[in-house]
Amino acid sequence: MLSMRRDVFHAIADPNRRAIIGLLANQKLTINAVAEHFPISRPAVSRHIKILKECGLLVVRRQGRERYCEVRLDRLSEVAEWVEKSRSVWEQRFDRLDEYLSELQKKEKPHDEK
Amino acid sequence: MTKNNVAGERGKQEVFITRLFDAPRELVWQAWTDPKHFMLWWGPKDYTCPFCEMDLRVGGKYLNCMRSPKGKDYWGTGVFREIIPMERLVFTDSFADEKGNVVPATYYGMSSDFPLEMLVTVTFEDQGSKTKMTLRHTGLPAGPDSEGTHQGWSESFDKLAESLQ
Repeated sequence: MLSMRRDVFHAIADPNRRAIIGLLANQKLTINAVAEHFPISRPAVSRHIKILKECGLLVVRRQGRERYCEVRLDRLSEVAEWVEKSRSVWEQRFDRLDEYLSELQKKEKPHDEK
Repeated sequence: MTKNNVAGERGKQEVFITRLFDAPRELVWQAWTDPKHFMLWWGPKDYTCPFCEMDLRVGGKYLNCMRSPKGKDYWGTGVFREIIPMERLVFTDSFADEKGNVVPATYYGMSSDFPLEMLVTVTFEDQGSKTKMTLRHTGLPAGPDSEGTHQGWSESFDKLAESLQ
């Protein structure tokens, strides 16, 4: 079985979740207050909040009788880290492609044979 | 108002590489789409590509293998989404086992933060006698509750950045 661990990519894949992150970027709100901003049902909002929690982008903190949602945006930088690793792999591939193409042409051009 | 500056940095959310190859466009295209050619360059430095199969049509699958200098195999698979000969090649990209089943990056001991499926777009353009190639590599949101599986996470990320403005 695949272990479908939640990750940052999963968190930002859904428009409602992006909107929730946007809404909470500069303020903390209760789950009810968050739900009021969305046309979707409260359970649906709760589900998105749960996913964001699992992705490490949101924490729910109790303050008195209320539970407030706060976003933790640090993990978004993982997206950028992933990009950097990926880039270096591609660059190396293309160095080889470059070498390969020039070898290929050296062979073909001067003698015109395979 | 303290704002994060991570989401706002455009262009960092995806791999975008432009390269100029001193070769005609047909040849660069062939290097990507003919397994015989592909196997001779695919993989980082000192890696080899001992296996490559492509069903080069829209919806067709490919399966390839990169072998590290230490002999560890990394299999990759995906589906061709768009094929415009000598102009544009779009395919999905996932880690796989040797049978072609998609596996998470953790299968190869890599971070679980790799998306399960990524999208690669390669374009080819003449530039005099040379060929300008661009590569765009983005993650794809996966999972039953994501909409628009064709959309890369970079686009998701851009929207998120906008929503934070």
